[in-house]
Amino acid sequence: MQNVLVYVQHKGGQTPKVTFEMATKARELADKLGGKAHAVVVGKGSTQLAEQLKAYPLDVIHVNDDADVDTFLLDPVIDYIAGAAKAIGPSLVLVPNTLTGKDVAGRLVARLNAGICADATDFKIEGGRVEAVMPKMGGAAITTCALRSGDYGVVTIRPNAFAAAAGGAGAAVQPIEKPAGGSYAVTIENDVEEGTGELALEEAPVVVAGGRGLGGPDPFDTLLKPLAKELGGTVGASRAAADAGWVPYSLQIGQTGKTVSPNLYIAVGISGAIQHKVGMRSSGTIVAINKDGQAPISEFSDLTVVGDAFAIVPELTKLIAASKS
Amino acid sequence: MKIVVTVKLVPDPNAEKRIDPSTKRLVRTGVETVLNPYDEYALEAALQLKEKAGGDTTVTVFSMAPESLKETLRKALAMGADDAVLLSDAGLEGSDVWATSYAISHALKKVGFDLLIVGGLSDDGSTGATPGALAEYLQTPLVTNVRKAEIADGKLRLERETDTGYQDVVAPMPSVITTALTFGEPRYASLKGIMGAKKKTIAAMSLGDLGLDQPVGQAGSKTELLAANPPAVRGKGQVVEAADGAQGAQAIFDFLKERKLV
Ligand SMILES: Cc1cc2nc3c(=O)[nH]c(=O)nc-3n(C[C@H](O)[C@H](O)[C@H](O)COP(=O)(O)OP(=O)(O)OC[C@H]3O[C@@H](n4cnc5c(N)ncnc54)[C@H](O)[C@@H]3O)c2cc1C
Ligand SMILES: Nc1ncnc2c1ncn2[C@@H]1O[C@H](COP(=O)(O)O)[C@@H](O)[C@H]1O
Repeated sequence: MQNVLVYVQHKGGQTPKVTFEMATKARELADKLGGKAHAVVVGKGSTQLAEQLKAYPLDVIHVNDDADVDTFLLDPVIDYIAGAAKAIGPSLVLVPNTLTGKDVAGRLVARLNAGICADATDFKIEGGRVEAVMPKMGGAAITTCALRSGDYGVVTIRPNAFAAAAGGAGAAVQPIEKPAGGSYAVTIENDVEEGTGELALEEAPVVVAGGRGLGGPDPFDTLLKPLAKELGGTVGASRAAADAGWVPYSLQIGQTGKTVSPNLYIAVGISGAIQHKVGMRSSGTIVAINKDGQAPISEFSDLTVVGDAFAIVPELTKLIAASKS
Repeated sequence: MKIVVTVKLVPDPNAEKRIDPSTKRLVRTGVETVLNPYDEYALEAALQLKEKAGGDTTVTVFSMAPESLKETLRKALAMGADDAVLLSDAGLEGSDVWATSYAISHALKKVGFDLLIVGGLSDDGSTGATPGALAEYLQTPLVTNVRKAEIADGKLRLERETDTGYQDVVAPMPSVITTALTFGEPRYASLKGIMGAKKKTIAAMSLGDLGLDQPVGQAGSKTELLAANPPAVRGKGQVVEAADGAQGAQAIFDFLKERKLV
């Protein structure tokens, strides 16, 4: 296992930030393993995205604008990646730990007879062997998993865990041939983007999350959104808030929602139940705003301010805005 | 129609967990084993599809777990599954995702299905890779994160969640699907269900039934767990009482400034 292969998830050339984080990490890993850093970009808009990716320290970017990728669910993508992987031999395949990434990773496990380490937040290379570090069981354990060097290995990458840095000599962009004999079983009839224009929760450097203490849907817009905006982040929620219908489930953080690890997590009117904690406890800094100084969230927050969110949040937003001008 | 649902048996997600670094294992004392939450949603989807389809549709739950956990599977039967298959073997112990998927896919080939519903994520393993690996080994199409499903003219019309929105897709039968949590809250087992579950069968399968070409268990696994440690303890931080909004805001602002977060 010397070469590293990055799967670039995108739609029409739009890719999540984790792609650039993976491209950057791939270089470092390939250097340590003594191999090359490759990326596979397929589907509409790939050529254009490859130009953008060239700014990152990859060696080869394999590209095909094949529209089948956008018409059939995942089958063509798997054929391309498996084809590229087989061409370069037992390699380390990096995949984002997103919904699509999990599907890609699982299918490659079987297609390449590969080991998998999921949701990695760190790597070690020991004697040519790749080890991935991953928080498991909602962060209750930090595990280290080693891949066998003679086999293919797949590692899914937690967004926000690695830095993205442009640089390098500029990758060679090469067309990749469509694998022959593909059979595509599932057709996409309708593909809807629900882009709220907001940052994806898992990728945001700052998350301002609201809970039942906010009492209704409006404070998410009037209190939390302006604060999140000032901090360059996005809004999340507890399950109580999602269950009440105040925000969509896509904003829910916790055991049955998303796992986030932003640099800064601000919990507003959230009590800090274990099921919420497991989705956010690996955040860099945690600040809680809660009426109740005894709320469980204070046990694992770096700062808890005991007081009324409705009074504190607008003042905080103003302070931050003022500090910038 | 035969619907099969995979169910993993996991340590209670709601329990506070502790790792013993010397054994690299979870301290199990006081932690109950339950059905993996995502798999309860998968089972709910199967039961709803069975109710809609009627006729001779059946729901079978499948689990790979130690024999000693057999009774935990009854909860799935109490919720409404018709029967269960439990794959247990000492030779499966320590199987990683690859070995697990490889073994389960061979077992499911024997069990047979028209529709296989897999959970999206296990609470203890949390790779989310098993569904994809199963579909691939079974050479069956895969549709994940399904929130609405309809069966018409022998085809599946599915609405699925994506990273950035949703899609409507059409898949043939048989297929493998995973359910999103928005498909519907899992039902509670009724008293009648619980009583009835006692009489339902849990068929046993072992490695000998599978005819595998490659070794599984810890020895056959393609990954090795080197360490499992408790996370760095996140101590209780400062607690500041705010007399009013301005004071509370100032306390946070100063703290963020000190940490260079603003
Ligand atoms: C199987 C299962 C899975 C679950 N999964 C999740 C999950 O993924 N995510 C999740 O979040 N939960 C999950 N839960 C639910 C979890 O147990 C809690 O019920 C939930 O997190 C509580 O949400 P909350 O903190 O917003 O509400 P509460 O616990 O009601 O807390 C509200 C807090 O707001 C404070 N407050 C009230 N008014 C104000 C004010 N004006 N200013 C400041 N503070 C105020 C209160 O002091 C209180 O601490 C799950 C539960 C189960 C059983
Ligand atoms: N040992 C097992 N027995 C039955 N199903 C399993 C097992 N392991 C994983 N699965 C299924 O695969 C899904 C995803 O698991 P994972 O890939 O570990 O996150 C789970 O929700 C289960 O439906």
